[in-house]
Amino acid sequence: MSDAFPILIPDRLPISISPCPIVEAIFEARFVSPQPWATMPGLLFAQIRERYPEQKTLPVAQLPEEMRRQDANLLVLPLIQFLSDDFLIQLGPRVVCLVTKPNAYPGWPTIEQELGWLLERLKSAGFIGETERLGARYIDFFDGDVFDSLRIGLQIDDQPLRGTPTDVTTLLRRDAVSIRLHLTNGAIVAIKEGPKSGSILDVDAWFGPLDVDLFENGLTRFGEAHQAIKGLFFGLIKPELLSKLNPTYE
Amino acid sequence: MMALTLQYQPPAYTLVEGLRESAQVSTVRRDAPDGWAREELLLRKLGPKGWGRVYQFQKYYTSGWGEKGNVLSPKALDAFFRFLAEANFPADKSSPSVFLTDGGGVELCWEDSAGRAIQVEFTGTGAEFYKEATEEEGVVTFEELSELSRRLSA
Repeated sequence: MSDAFPILIPDRLPISISPCPIVEAIFEARFVSPQPWATMPGLLFAQIRERYPEQKTLPVAQLPEEMRRQDANLLVLPLIQFLSDDFLIQLGPRVVCLVTKPNAYPGWPTIEQELGWLLERLKSAGFIGETERLGARYIDFFDGDVFDSLRIGLQIDDQPLRGTPTDVTTLLRRDAVSIRLHLTNGAIVAIKEGPKSGSILDVDAWFGPLDVDLFENGLTRFGEAHQAIKGLFFGLIKPELLSKLNPTYE
Repeated sequence: MMALTLQYQPPAYTLVEGLRESAQVSTVRRDAPDGWAREELLLRKLGPKGWGRVYQFQKYYTSGWGEKGNVLSPKALDAFFRFLAEANFPADKSSPSVFLTDGGGVELCWEDSAGRAIQVEFTGTGAEFYKEATEEEGVVTFEELSELSRRLSA
């Protein structure tokens, strides 16, 4: 591991865990385009309709374009979704992402295959110019207060803060990857059985514009972002939690 | 539970009431963790005027503008920040000026300690520079930016 990286990544990582805590995984590329937004959904849909026949316009698309352009947060939001049985693709004027279905993580090999297919289709669609950012984001849910089970926490006067709603966000760097780590013990997720309160580990790992080109090294970079998040996850959890997740190794 | 507005899809999770943002305070700006470091760098190296100009470029010119629908190049902007991180400007001269170019790049101009102009234009493929004192000009790749920054700052 890098000298500067504060989390010790185990040498050997599991290939699967059960129960799987992943609520959602998002693989996102932000880009600039010489094409106007109005043409993009049609160009993409023509390429992906065989696998993603259904489409849905998202509520944020109702906002005036000028308002979206002037708000940095709105600017990178997707405006339309294309749905298949296993994934959804989201598209906006500056962003495209592949998202897993909630609480149905299919595993990295399946995702990698779908990403490879999507990149080919995006290249054929021809509207993506420069890549601005490429990354992966994994959101994990745990029952109860997960701070007890992780090697991270908040201290007051050198004493760990326990039993209070706590929300921690930090930014880590590991070589060319930026990692935003968000941890909270006060979150509510919707699962099949209904809303449930607990803890969230939300990790976003990305490469900046000088380190990525979607069509040259995009798939490799997605893999590296995934691997960075996986390493960080297993570096953060304590052995007691790991054993409850029944890890299997190669 | 309060409903969050403008969600583009059902959020994967919602923070409980007590952990949500309180009402916005207009005098305090909060940025993403990596964004904060960049804003601090801009303020330190270019002063409030340069910070304001780059803020405007990012806010108003990231989408297409002008007749040709130009777009601010993410690579050029990132290269500009990498260069800035290594650069040192003469303290006795006015702060460097920063411009948006017609091609969607970023140009940085300042004076060396003898009052001679130095210009660097960051583009989607690298940077072009000109140093009046030696009449030197050239093009560098992104990998050579740190070295160029140190050389022009010396």
